[in-house]
Amino acid sequence: MTPAWILDIFAAIMLVVAAVSAVRLLAARPWQRGAVVTDTDISHLLMGIAMAGMLASGLTTLPNGAWVAVFAVLAAWFGYRVLRDYQASGARSLAVGHCAPHLVHSAAMVYMFAAITTPSAGGGSGMGGMGGTSGMSTLHVPTLAFVFTLILVGYTIWDLDQLSSLRRGLVAAVAGPAGAFGSQVVSEPGGTGHDSTSARSGATAILDAPGIVVGCRIAMGVTMALMLVLML
Amino acid sequence: MTNVAVAGSRTAWRGRLGTEPVAARPSLDARRVLQLVLAAIWLLDGVLQYQAFMFTKGFNQMLAGTAGGNPAVIARPISWDATLIDHHMVLLNAIFATIQLLLGLGIAFRPTLRVALAASVLWSLGVWWLGEGLGGVLNGGASPLNGAPGAVIIYALLAVLLWPADRGVPAPFTAARAAGGHVARALWAVLWLSLAYFALTPDNRAPQGVNGMIAGMESGEPAWLQDLQKGAASLVAGQGLAASIVLAVALVLIAAGVYLPPRIARATLVLAIVVAAVIWVFAQALGGILATGATDVNSGPLLALLALAYWPPRAGLAAPVATPAVSEELAPSEGEA
Repeated sequence: MTPAWILDIFAAIMLVVAAVSAVRLLAARPWQRGAVVTDTDISHLLMGIAMAGMLASGLTTLPNGAWVAVFAVLAAWFGYRVLRDYQASGARSLAVGHCAPHLVHSAAMVYMFAAITTPSAGGGSGMGGMGGTSGMSTLHVPTLAFVFTLILVGYTIWDLDQLSSLRRGLVAAVAGPAGAFGSQVVSEPGGTGHDSTSARSGATAILDAPGIVVGCRIAMGVTMALMLVLML
Repeated sequence: MTNVAVAGSRTAWRGRLGTEPVAARPSLDARRVLQLVLAAIWLLDGVLQYQAFMFTKGFNQMLAGTAGGNPAVIARPISWDATLIDHHMVLLNAIFATIQLLLGLGIAFRPTLRVALAASVLWSLGVWWLGEGLGGVLNGGASPLNGAPGAVIIYALLAVLLWPADRGVPAPFTAARAAGGHVARALWAVLWLSLAYFALTPDNRAPQGVNGMIAGMESGEPAWLQDLQKGAASLVAGQGLAASIVLAVALVLIAAGVYLPPRIARATLVLAIVVAAVIWVFAQALGGILATGATDVNSGPLLALLALAYWPPRAGLAAPVATPAVSEELAPSEGEA
């Protein structure tokens, strides 16, 4: 059995990702007119909570069926986005676009929650015994888990390579909201040109840096690959 | 990244790909792509090392078992290492897994590329000795089918050949950019000729040698993979000598291929990739990953990756010589040592 404390560390990382995503969502002030909320943040928030619930045996979230529904909707949304990107940019969108990895993440989550076999069947959330002592959860169709693992690892590595070039952007964001990436929040569709970042604190500017989003996705990819391998 | 724009009761969805800082991204060359694949394999290895099996006595016994048949000078440190791990199983295995995870992430992250590649060489050499018993090279257990000369030593070889440096002259293939054509070819020949030799050792050419090795990997695999392996095993049942000779001839051809004109070299490299794929699927059962308990992907994917590093570019397109302006690895702004 993989020690529970190791799984708890990964669960904590997922909760940090969820917290960062929640702060980013709140910083976007969705209750105001023209607020811009990123679907990747919504996705990271939900996945962070769901994965933490799977990893930490003491953490109870939603029933597996509910998570399947949630991530099926996300997968459908990102599938639609990938299709649109593909029509606009061709196959290149699968490599440089942001939606393809999120589609894979969402699909992997659907698979994990749908294919899990928990030794101590309880109808609760997540893997149940994965981090506990009642036995190991496994997945139906392990070959699919292997395929998902390979794709997740591939996207993680690709993200890291791309993050290398975004590093300067992160530094610029740390330096202040006037940095190259500190003012990237998109203005509202009406075109008022209002740039909400100008009034934001340095901390919020850091959270707005693309490196943060990509970093969250890398953490998520590694953890998801780990979970799939542990349940082979 | 996609945005949801919430405006009162209106909700609009749109993308903002156009605002991504793509202009700052350095381009990928063939060597960088190969480095990323190596990084992915390290990352996968790290994840595999977190499996439940690695925290059991079974992992320790697997390590201790590699000492058998080796000279005392090799075997004694292996036994010492196995004992040490036995006493601190959870902590040490967690460290091992994390190191491999970090090696993968470090190679993928350009600023830490050199450090990670150098560390991967040291780690690979240590694991080759203390974890794989030198891949069975000295105890007669090595076979191209079971991962000889030790999958992990191929990681080290790849790290050296994909090192982000250039010798200032156009290289005939990617692997020659840092090490030079002569050294790179010699390393290739030594590796594949050694595999040919191992294919013909008495144990491996015994009538049921190849059959037994394939059949031994079936346990715990999914049905479709078991079926493939059963088919392969029955094909070579009692044909160990013939199968070994065919394999050895192919391996010698591959070894000689890099010394031949580019067109023939490409053909032998394709043969190398096919042989690596066949070995990985049929003899190594995809590294045994689906049966759980695998510590790495085994040698198949690494041999294929190595073959790609020797792929000669099209006529007139020698592997590029890096300059600070175009080499992402050497760019001072990336903060490498």
